[in-house]
Amino acid sequence: MDLIGLANYAVFVAILMGIYALLALGLNIQWGFSGLFNAGIAGFFAIGAYTSAILTSPTVAGRVGGFDLPIVIGWVGAMAMAGLIAWPIGRVCLRFRSDYLAIATIGVAEIIRLVIRTEDWLTGGPRGIIAIPRPFGDLAYMPSQLAFLALVVVLVALAYALIERQLRAPWGRMMRAIRDNELAAAAMGKHIEARRLQAFVFGSAVMGLAGALFVHFNRSVTPEAIDPMLATFLVWIMLILGGSGNNRGAILGAVVIWGIWSLSELLTDRLPTEVAVQAKYVRVFVIGLTLQLVLRFRPEGILPEHEPGRASPPPGAAPPGAADGR
Amino acid sequence: MKTRFLGKLAGAAGAAALLAGLPAQAQDIKVGLLGGITGPIAAMAPPMVDAAKLAFSQVNAGGGILNGRKIETVVGDSGCNPQAGTDAATKAANIDRVIALVGPHCSGAVLAVANSVAVPAGVLLVTPSGTSPAITALADRDLVYRTVPSDDYQGRALARTVKARGIGSVAVTYLNNDYGKGLGEAFKAEFEAIGGKVAAYSGHEEGKASYRSELAQLARSGADTLVVFDYGDGTGLTMLRQALENRMFKNYIGADGMKSDAVIKALGADNLKTFFTSAPVGEAGASKQAFDKAFSAAGGRPDAIFAGNSYDAAFLVALAIEHAGGDRSKLAASLRAVSSAPGEAILPGEWAKAKQAIAQGRDIDYKGATGDHEFDKSGDVPGAYAFFGVKGSTYEALASMK
Repeated sequence: MDLIGLANYAVFVAILMGIYALLALGLNIQWGFSGLFNAGIAGFFAIGAYTSAILTSPTVAGRVGGFDLPIVIGWVGAMAMAGLIAWPIGRVCLRFRSDYLAIATIGVAEIIRLVIRTEDWLTGGPRGIIAIPRPFGDLAYMPSQLAFLALVVVLVALAYALIERQLRAPWGRMMRAIRDNELAAAAMGKHIEARRLQAFVFGSAVMGLAGALFVHFNRSVTPEAIDPMLATFLVWIMLILGGSGNNRGAILGAVVIWGIWSLSELLTDRLPTEVAVQAKYVRVFVIGLTLQLVLRFRPEGILPEHEPGRASPPPGAAPPGAADGR
Repeated sequence: MKTRFLGKLAGAAGAAALLAGLPAQAQDIKVGLLGGITGPIAAMAPPMVDAAKLAFSQVNAGGGILNGRKIETVVGDSGCNPQAGTDAATKAANIDRVIALVGPHCSGAVLAVANSVAVPAGVLLVTPSGTSPAITALADRDLVYRTVPSDDYQGRALARTVKARGIGSVAVTYLNNDYGKGLGEAFKAEFEAIGGKVAAYSGHEEGKASYRSELAQLARSGADTLVVFDYGDGTGLTMLRQALENRMFKNYIGADGMKSDAVIKALGADNLKTFFTSAPVGEAGASKQAFDKAFSAAGGRPDAIFAGNSYDAAFLVALAIEHAGGDRSKLAASLRAVSSAPGEAILPGEWAKAKQAIAQGRDIDYKGATGDHEFDKSGDVPGAYAFFGVKGSTYEALASMK
């Protein structure tokens, strides 16, 4: 037990929180501001992860690439590819109403996962891709972790600032109008489908960036990382707990939920060894319980949506999406 | 905003760690045990964790480690995925300050943990069940080992055995999943490298009623030997039956998946005189018996998958710590020293004997429950495989495979 070890751990946890914050921000664009129920976050996370891995890893026989390109190109490529693949999916799926959209996106994420598992020539199949470069990876353990954290913090801050700016612009008001009353927005001449598609593509690109950061952090990617529990449902819980429709809420949700996820194990480890193994399941339980409590007592999340131009939400305001039965 | 979170986070981590620190005793040696406790292999993980714990409890009961200190295990949940795996490993390496990690269990978690925690932080990692060939290629500063052979190994060993039996040209068909394909690729690469000819090479999908057209195409290649990487109680049986019915090939060869009693029951031993399979063989000797006895006595099932590998990984780590005198920087070299021949043979559970030998400076060689564990330069172990033929109503080992 020493401070350096603690600091190392805190840095690691903060990096993961940052990556999840990006996922939650991406989902916030789709659900929080546009009312699109995307249950396939893992799919876009995976596209970003594998795109960047293929672009930046060294060349391997028997697989497309790696192209050994600079990491920055990998990240831009990850966002572009996630957006590009989101576009046709959105074209097809966004015509569905919300619950059908959820089912369709689960299906799409599953297709992406199976393609990654089986198409060896592209993704390495079950063996995955290794030897992915890591920014500042040549430094010693702690400086390298710190440098990576700085990078993640910068990217989260940048994503936050850009998304916030976009949502304060007329575009954001329009998206909220579409979300809250589709018919009224259409009557005012807004092209609902095209606007939703924009939000879907934009959000998916941010998720793709999170995937890219994750693989460079681990220097490797295998299909095991695309677990729907960890890459889809955990993100949903983060956004709902933090406050959907609020970007700070999305970041806060990521911090709180990953904090609970990671720190609860430290506490359960203090139990006698006979029950410590069983107690590993407690954290899954705690996350579920937290979600239940939030939905029961504070359905709008810790930091509720704050609409520009209105001082605070009116008392008893329904959470986004609740009003029209979504 | 971010800094405020970080502040809170550090506070929370501090509080948790303070709690964490209380029961541990300063002189205990801590070893991390990372397992896929939750997640897809949740059913397999408990016996593996128990087997590793058995090794450490034998150490503690047999005089302890390094002047009577105890080994304390820190069990972490690697969840069979990189997110949970790196999280558990970071905690083990930084908060608990473990000297070595046994685990994690799944290959994806092993790759992530090795890359982002174990290697940069200088912690020895021995996985009992990460079988991916990608682990071999890691740039690991000699810190990553495994007590289970790579998937690659069986395919290559089988290729050498087949060639050595005088078969020069084969047709290969594999079930299109990670098992079949992995074996197929390894077999093809090795067989061609040693001068054999793979006349036809194709995958097949699972669960079809007829494979006659696939088989006809393979037979047209002119090879007299068919190599099937599939399961003998599934599609592989169908293929074998249809090939035999039409007398398409002379010899039939499979890997461990094909070594199923269902094949003999369905086709009859008389028809299978030219059917051979490779399969792993536990060291039938004293090592395996010693482990089986101890693990049964501790309430475990010794035949649970990877339980023996897990025990061996843990026992080897304990031996390495003793040999290195608790010095982290010497741990990897010590692991090689205690595991490789020559040296005084140490069987599972013989802690007191090993401790004495190390104290007297004699060289030791651990013979584990699942093999001798002679690590190669990338930290892999060769498996113990044998080549089986059908005799009567069962399989009989014809030769061990090199």
